[in-house]
Amino acid sequence: MEFAQICDFVGPETINRAPMDVSGLPGVWINSNPETNGIARIVISEADEGLSLQVYAMGPDGLIDWGVATIQVYGSSPSSRTTAGFSCRFNFGFAESFLQGMIMKGLLVLAELRTFKDQSNRADYFVREYFALEHQRY
Amino acid sequence: MTQTLDFKQIRDLDQALIDLDVTSIGVDRMIGRWINTDAQTRGLQEITIKQTGAQFSVSAAGAGTNGPIEWAAQSVRPLANLEEEAGQRGITLAADFDFGFMKAETYLRVNKGVLVIVLFNSFRDESGRSDYVTREFFYCAE
Repeated sequence: MEFAQICDFVGPETINRAPMDVSGLPGVWINSNPETNGIARIVISEADEGLSLQVYAMGPDGLIDWGVATIQVYGSSPSSRTTAGFSCRFNFGFAESFLQGMIMKGLLVLAELRTFKDQSNRADYFVREYFALEHQRY
Repeated sequence: MTQTLDFKQIRDLDQALIDLDVTSIGVDRMIGRWINTDAQTRGLQEITIKQTGAQFSVSAAGAGTNGPIEWAAQSVRPLANLEEEAGQRGITLAADFDFGFMKAETYLRVNKGVLVIVLFNSFRDESGRSDYVTREFFYCAE
C-alpha cells in the first residue's frame, strides 16, 4: 500500500468498505456571523448519489441562491467511515468557488477559496467562517 | 466610465480586492521553514515555503517508515486573506500535491505566528481507504 505520510497507511485488517456515515451533515447550516458579506446559509440534502449542497449568500438586495453542487465527503482518517469534512465547487463563469468544510465540535468550519476568471483585476481571496446546524430543540 | 462587476456575494465587491498589494500583505510571515509542533506526528514533519517574484513554492517532509518522504506542490496560488481572526490580514496559499495514488488539496495560513495547514486527501487507488481531512500546526524555525 502506497503512502506519502505514515498516517495514510491502513492495515488490511482495518480497511472498512462500509458506506461512509454522512448522517451528521444534512440540514440547514447558518453562519455564526450575522454581519457576514458572504455565505449566509448552507443547505445539505441527501441526493440520489451522495449529498448535495445549496448555498445562499448575502447580496445587496437579499440572499443570492448559488444553486446546488454535489459534494465529496472525507473521514477523519483513512480507516474512518464517519464524515468529518467535505468539498465542492461552484463555477459562475466570471468566478469559481472551491468550498472545503470541516466539522469541529459540532461546528462547520467552512473555507472558501474564491478565484476570479474575468478581467476585473480583483484578487483571488480566501475566507473562513463558522456555521451552526439549525436543530430547533430550544 | 464605470465598470460593472459581476458578483455572487457582497464580499466580491470589496474594494480591497482591487488593491494590487492585497496578495502581498504579510507574505514575509509565511516564508521560511516550519516545524510541526507535534514531534510525534505521523503526518507532515516540516514545511518550507519560498517565494520567487510573484511565484510561491511549497515543499514538505512527510513522516515515513525509513526517513522523510518528499512532498512538492504541483501548484501554489496566493489568495488574499482579508478577514483573518483578530483583524490579522495576510495571504493564504492554496497548494495541491499529486502522488498518483493520492492527491492532497491543502490551504496554508498563519494565525498569530502559527502556520496552519488543512489537508483534504483523496485516494485514487483501489485500496479501500477513506478520503480524509487533517489539520496540523507548525512553528517557524528561522
